[in-house]
Amino acid sequence: MEKMKLKLLYSDLKPELDMIEKELEQAVDSNSHLLTEASLHLLQAGGKRIRPVFVLLAGKFGNYNIDIMKQVAVPLELIHMASLVHDDVIDDSEMRRGQPTVKAQWNNSVAMYTGDFILARALEYITEVDTPNIHEILSKTMIEVCRGEIIQIEDKYKLDQNMRDYLRRIKRKTALLISSSCELGALVSGTDEKTAAHLRRFGYFIGMSFQIIDDILDFTSTDEELGKPAGSDFIQGNITLPVLFARKDKEIYRLLKESLYKDLTDDERMHIVKQVRNSPAIKESKAISERYLNKALKELAYLPKSTANKTMRNIAFFIGKRKF
Amino acid sequence: MNLQQIQSKITSMEIDVLKAVQQRTLEKYTAGPSVEQARLFFLLLPFFDGKQWSGKIEASAKTVSIVYAALHAHDQVKEDAPVTKKQQLTVLAGDFYSGIYYHMLTNLKNIPLIQRIATAIVQVSERKASFYEEAVRSIVDIDETVEVIETELLTAFYDFYGYDEYTPLAKLTLNYLRYAEELECLQRDGQTHVLRLLKQSLRHELHTENWLLEKLDHLHSQIVKCVNGYAFDYELKHFVLHQITPHQHRAEQLTREG
Repeated sequence: MEKMKLKLLYSDLKPELDMIEKELEQAVDSNSHLLTEASLHLLQAGGKRIRPVFVLLAGKFGNYNIDIMKQVAVPLELIHMASLVHDDVIDDSEMRRGQPTVKAQWNNSVAMYTGDFILARALEYITEVDTPNIHEILSKTMIEVCRGEIIQIEDKYKLDQNMRDYLRRIKRKTALLISSSCELGALVSGTDEKTAAHLRRFGYFIGMSFQIIDDILDFTSTDEELGKPAGSDFIQGNITLPVLFARKDKEIYRLLKESLYKDLTDDERMHIVKQVRNSPAIKESKAISERYLNKALKELAYLPKSTANKTMRNIAFFIGKRKF
Repeated sequence: MNLQQIQSKITSMEIDVLKAVQQRTLEKYTAGPSVEQARLFFLLLPFFDGKQWSGKIEASAKTVSIVYAALHAHDQVKEDAPVTKKQQLTVLAGDFYSGIYYHMLTNLKNIPLIQRIATAIVQVSERKASFYEEAVRSIVDIDETVEVIETELLTAFYDFYGYDEYTPLAKLTLNYLRYAEELECLQRDGQTHVLRLLKQSLRHELHTENWLLEKLDHLHSQIVKCVNGYAFDYELKHFVLHQITPHQHRAEQLTREG
């Protein structure tokens, strides 16, 4: 339902997004029946396609040509998909978006080769683009996203980390790829540097806000809404913003500390989720997300008023209030 | 170029590759990047053979070696293993090395080679995935799969720079080394995807060992023939035949059998 609401916000882009969806399907077509099946399994599980949406919207600030825009929009979504299929191996996740993950449906090796295949397809695609800087931005982003994930593993179970560690981590994990989506969309459509910089910063701030909300939802949503058990992040040792705020309460801190590394029963898991949910941590985390959201909106204020600007603004507001 | 100079150049390239992908956490928790000397030798072969060479080509050769390391890291991810830092970081190591190769070729402004390598990765991934498909495979198909996995990236590099003349030797040699590893594994009672497929196709373990021994003999005699067809200098020929592919499998078997 919530995903439908989001899609309504960019319904103007539906014909282009349908085209991109078809291109994504074609891109994962392979001589290996297994790789095609595994990639389509991932593709058809859905997703918000927020990266292609931001590429297209950013492109509207320049000379928009869908045939050129899709050369960037498709690989960005493919890179995101490749990282998801590998992330599920890292987290040993069985479910994603309410569907079995590739690793659960087949096995770890198939998931690894599917990710490698999808990433290679993304690079085959994007190397058709000869706009300067595109590859520099994207390759740096890919390295930084990996560094973010490596740091995330290093920081796992470290309850005493600080907020700066968390923010640096989510910047690399999520915000950079959204920021690059906006910047690359701007660059391929030939906007001026200033516009591209505003769009890049918009993407960064909205990406930060988006991830914080995601981390909040891990505590405030139901298992059904999430398509996985609530509190999964904490169970996997990921210390997110709500946990960092909640630990200020000595009782909750003790509970969290004792629960790390433990094999929790469903009741114990739900007890932790409720403790965090009912603490001021959720409100405090939302306030931080809101700060990023406002910064994102400020960036849009520097850009010409247009339908694309309005849509970006609406998406930003939606992300700030989303419930999925 | 004498044997020592050849070895020293390979070692120097290995150090450069390891430096390019250096990452503190990955070094601490994973097996580290796999950089095989034989592959480095073949990437450098045009240089050893006096072909036109440049810093840019050498840097491109390094990136191919990094891609091999990336794909190899992902081969090391275990099934049904507990979630350990080693397992998690091995996944990320492969992705990190892929990012590095893309970034290095971007810095060299060699976008067409990125595309060529990406196509080779697609083919290698398809072949690796085929290990998990259920169909019974013919020996020819297994052989082709091994060849693509072992040589596709290298031949992409050769094609790109016009060094195709080395493709036949590289294919024979890298296949030889792979089958030698498979034989060693079989003799240790180990299990690999290739051994499983060979056993399925040949229907008996003993047949598999004999097939591998014959294959190695055949490949080695082809390697000797192939090496003699090039105008390599004596040292380079010697390096291929004695450092890269010393052939002793049949002799070892005869010794074991008394």
